[in-house]
Amino acid sequence: MKVSLNWLKDFVDLPTNEPEELGAVFASLGHELEGIEILPRSFDGIVVGRVETIVPHPNADKVRLCTVITTGDPQEIICGAWNFEVGAVVAVAVPGASLDNGDFKITQRDIRGITSNGMICSSKELGLGDDQEGIMVLDRNTPIGSDFADLVALPDAILDLTITPNRGDAMSMLGLARELAAYYDTDVKLPSVDVTEGGEVFDMPVTIEDGEDCNRFLARRVTGITMGESPLWMQQRLAAAGVRSISNVVDISNYVMMELGQPNHTFDYDKINGNMIQVRRAVTGETLKTLDGVERELTPDDLLVADADGPSSLAGTMGGADSEVSATTTNVLVESAAWNPPTIMRMSRRLNLRSEASARFERGVDVNLPELAANRVACLLGEICGGTVSPGTVDVVAKSVEPWTVKLPLTLVKRVLGLDLAPNEVAKLLSRLNLVATGQDELSVVIPTYRRDLTRPIDLVEEVARLYGFDNFPDTLPSGPGGGLSAQQVRLRKMRTVLSSAGVSEAQTFSFHGAAAFEKLGLSADDERQSAINVRNPLREEESLLRTTLLPGLLQSIGFNTRHGIKSVALYEIGKVFYNEDSPEFGVIPNQPDHFAFALIGDEGGEGMYETGREVDVYSGTSIVRALADRMGLGEVTFATISEMPLHPGRAAEVFVGDKRVGIVGELHPTVASNWELEGRVVVGEFDLEPFIDDPGLWQFTEPSIYPHVDFDLAFELDVAVSSGAVVGAIRTAAGLVLETVAVFDEFSGGNLAEGKKSLALHLRLRDAHKTLSQEEVAPTRQACIDAVEQLGGVLRGA
Amino acid sequence: MIQALRNLQTSAPEVIAAANTLEQLATVEQAMTGQGSPIQQARTGMRNLPNEDKPAAGKQLKETTGVVQGLLQKRRADLALAAENEKLKTDTVDITLPGVQRRVGVPHLLTATMAEVSDIFTGLGYRVAEGPEVETGWYNFDALNTPSDHPARAESDTLYVDYGDPEDEMLLRTQTSPMQARYMQDHEPPVYVVVPGRVFRTDTLDPTHSPVFHQIEGLAVDNNITFSDLKGTLAHFAREFFGEGTKTLFLPHFFPFTEPSAEMHVSCFNCEGTGARCRVCGGSGWIEILGCGMVDPNVFEAVGYDADKVSGFAFGMGVERLAMIRHGLTHIKHLYENDQRVVRQYR
Repeated sequence: MKVSLNWLKDFVDLPTNEPEELGAVFASLGHELEGIEILPRSFDGIVVGRVETIVPHPNADKVRLCTVITTGDPQEIICGAWNFEVGAVVAVAVPGASLDNGDFKITQRDIRGITSNGMICSSKELGLGDDQEGIMVLDRNTPIGSDFADLVALPDAILDLTITPNRGDAMSMLGLARELAAYYDTDVKLPSVDVTEGGEVFDMPVTIEDGEDCNRFLARRVTGITMGESPLWMQQRLAAAGVRSISNVVDISNYVMMELGQPNHTFDYDKINGNMIQVRRAVTGETLKTLDGVERELTPDDLLVADADGPSSLAGTMGGADSEVSATTTNVLVESAAWNPPTIMRMSRRLNLRSEASARFERGVDVNLPELAANRVACLLGEICGGTVSPGTVDVVAKSVEPWTVKLPLTLVKRVLGLDLAPNEVAKLLSRLNLVATGQDELSVVIPTYRRDLTRPIDLVEEVARLYGFDNFPDTLPSGPGGGLSAQQVRLRKMRTVLSSAGVSEAQTFSFHGAAAFEKLGLSADDERQSAINVRNPLREEESLLRTTLLPGLLQSIGFNTRHGIKSVALYEIGKVFYNEDSPEFGVIPNQPDHFAFALIGDEGGEGMYETGREVDVYSGTSIVRALADRMGLGEVTFATISEMPLHPGRAAEVFVGDKRVGIVGELHPTVASNWELEGRVVVGEFDLEPFIDDPGLWQFTEPSIYPHVDFDLAFELDVAVSSGAVVGAIRTAAGLVLETVAVFDEFSGGNLAEGKKSLALHLRLRDAHKTLSQEEVAPTRQACIDAVEQLGGVLRGA
Repeated sequence: MIQALRNLQTSAPEVIAAANTLEQLATVEQAMTGQGSPIQQARTGMRNLPNEDKPAAGKQLKETTGVVQGLLQKRRADLALAAENEKLKTDTVDITLPGVQRRVGVPHLLTATMAEVSDIFTGLGYRVAEGPEVETGWYNFDALNTPSDHPARAESDTLYVDYGDPEDEMLLRTQTSPMQARYMQDHEPPVYVVVPGRVFRTDTLDPTHSPVFHQIEGLAVDNNITFSDLKGTLAHFAREFFGEGTKTLFLPHFFPFTEPSAEMHVSCFNCEGTGARCRVCGGSGWIEILGCGMVDPNVFEAVGYDADKVSGFAFGMGVERLAMIRHGLTHIKHLYENDQRVVRQYR
């Protein structure tokens, strides 16, 4: 909300004029300062002129050629704004003038073949506001040729504040003046509202269908007004507040809204049919053409002000075009009402009509404000538009609100704020906000009706803290019961370290993807990963399904890198997947376990100096799993071949820890790789995270043997179908405790080997914990190993 | 005989020193101690000496043998070392070649930042909890004093999912705060916990917004937690995270789940408030970092705590924002594309 300091000072005497200081005060009270604009102090070369003629520019469609009288002969000026007609009084920057604090010099300029002798100014060009679509049209009584500088109220500064949603009462000059008055411990000055009445008594039957929708509806009539421009002082203040000047009547309505915080509406009284008003919900099928010229279809969610013929305006949101004040209006009906915040919020959101009025009604306006506001509007219509205020006020109160009392125990102030304040100290702080507090240990605090946000003791604690000053609280540290990471969290960090040392970098990818991802993975129709949860309101199709697998995100990231010339990439991600089944832990929400997945492409070692010349393959994946199993103490990991999309049918495995299946690893099926536009082998793995970070218990020390080892190699010819894992397993069982290590060091087929056969060479190391092994002990162990492999169809080679 | 040994002992140092290779030394050794040498002759001649001369001759033999063997051994070691050094002179490399480097993986900047923040709080005695990302409307909003007509619950702000009973308003959590409610339901006070995690909003990707982002939430509930504790705790965090001299400014704000509420600003670590065109603070000298406040009694009520007995504070901050302003990232997308040219910059 933009606030002119000059305007604010109508309501409160301030000890300082420094905008920065006042901005900091507002911020310290919770009204965030977004910026400060210092209004220009000089309008040299800006004079008041009158538009004498307007003709189209012969060579341009979007601008018009005007002649304007200022001090001498009429001058031709080309203008791109269309919101004025012949006779309009305007601010003219003549050649030599400078705008924008001197940054913008006005000169005679050729615009498409015609010389423009200056510029007709908008409020933005004058530095008075934001509006640059229309020029500033001045009151017709402004003396032509006078210096604009003599007419504007300067200097001024505009503070841009953000008002939090709980503080509807602060969305006005009066409301913000109250805040400053509280800060400086002074009083606000209310505007003078001295209504002079005359003419016929005004009366009009008003019915309110539902008092919840409309707590109060108040109307006054002003007759005999003259439509025209509002005075410059008013235009200047509205411009500062970011409100465009429309006409004197509309400007007055907006001015009072900005001033008091009460949005109000002015109808052309003579266009109210049947001299009656109904406040009611719309009926399906009803329509209303609003001020912006849009014909709107209404629903029973919409609240209307209607006359005998139907809808006249959308309550608190936007007026109707038919009852709008126009150049011919002479009698005005002023509506000042209290609407239900949620009703206005729903309606303005549904119709996408957010206005200064709806912003205030959504936050809530004081039910006791409409009378003051209507009288203020009526007064100004009298003073500025020459109208006569009719005696009589129509005031229908469906739901009255009186000041309420909130009990504030001092123990609450002490517990939440840590402040040891005496009852009179708290009462003194609250009194600065016009909150009257009485009592001792428990204060009874009377809340003025404009502070709708103060209903509970804690609300008052906040007010005490605000006025005490957040800066004045000391900084202390509580002492808790002790904390730290859980065992699983520590293990997760360790796991990340292991992955880093294995050369794999961490990725973060979005938690959703489009339906195409499953297709590109080649998942079968009955694959349970296809049963993903829909996002109901995604902004893009690519965000429409919650991931059931981390692979799409990783493959997309791998692809991003290869497309950018980085051909060797190793990524992992740890994150949640979402299953279409209830969570075993939390009940009604979906099961959303953490997964761990990786994807590798290109050279095993990486690019450049990391390059090993070996392309990744399935073993690059299994080695990561083995490294993790080893360092994380998972126990024995085994691999069993599977044939399942998206993996290569011959180069993929299910992974088991003990007999528990924990995930899959393998090369991508070549078709899947090409679906993701990836070249060469792509290795992926995806696992439940839990088995990796579950606590396996403390490891215990094993005394290294002091006795010598015995090493020997064995090579076997085997059917290719016999896995090395089976051979190693058989040897482990056969050799027993004296076996220290067994490792495959060579595997090949072809050569002199028969079709369907392979050679497998293993290195064994034996060592006894308690004695030196003798040849008599080694020989039978070696033989037992050979026998065990022969059971698998192996034949010892080179024996 | 004794004289011959003495002569040998006298000449040996010079002769041995004159041997410049191991081969020459071997010849010298042979001449001094081998067949026909004075030492060898003395050994064989010993038995022919009269008994009374034997002790003197034996003594001389032992002395000469010791001296000669010592000199030979020393010279042999010197020559071997010289030969080794000579050989090493030719065994040289271009030390600027990279060799084969072993690639080390990089943790993600967001993970690293969340760990860094968590560690500051575990140092203060907090635990770390994580919670579900698909939540019910009750945990994400109602339990946090956010009524059903609150604008944040509109589809324009919150991503909803089709799951279970529509009454439950299943959604992607818009904040890590629902874990506050779950944690309090599961733990009696005192509670000191931080919750890092992933959150979601109906946002289009732009330099500072993403439909997926991360927050860290914090909650302290105990018998006598005060607003001063909130300030002191977060000021400590700011100094740990942004540097020792960091100042903090708490400005009143509004959040449905805390009262009083505040926004914490920290003094700019980049320009220390001096740079009119500072990229980080825009010249104001202050950076808004997090929202915080004293837990609203309605939240305590929703989770079954006695608001007349306990008090507490809560805070929440955006992880992307912390990481981006600290390291100068220009677009939030850089945190989700996993571009290795970006990732390798993380330190």
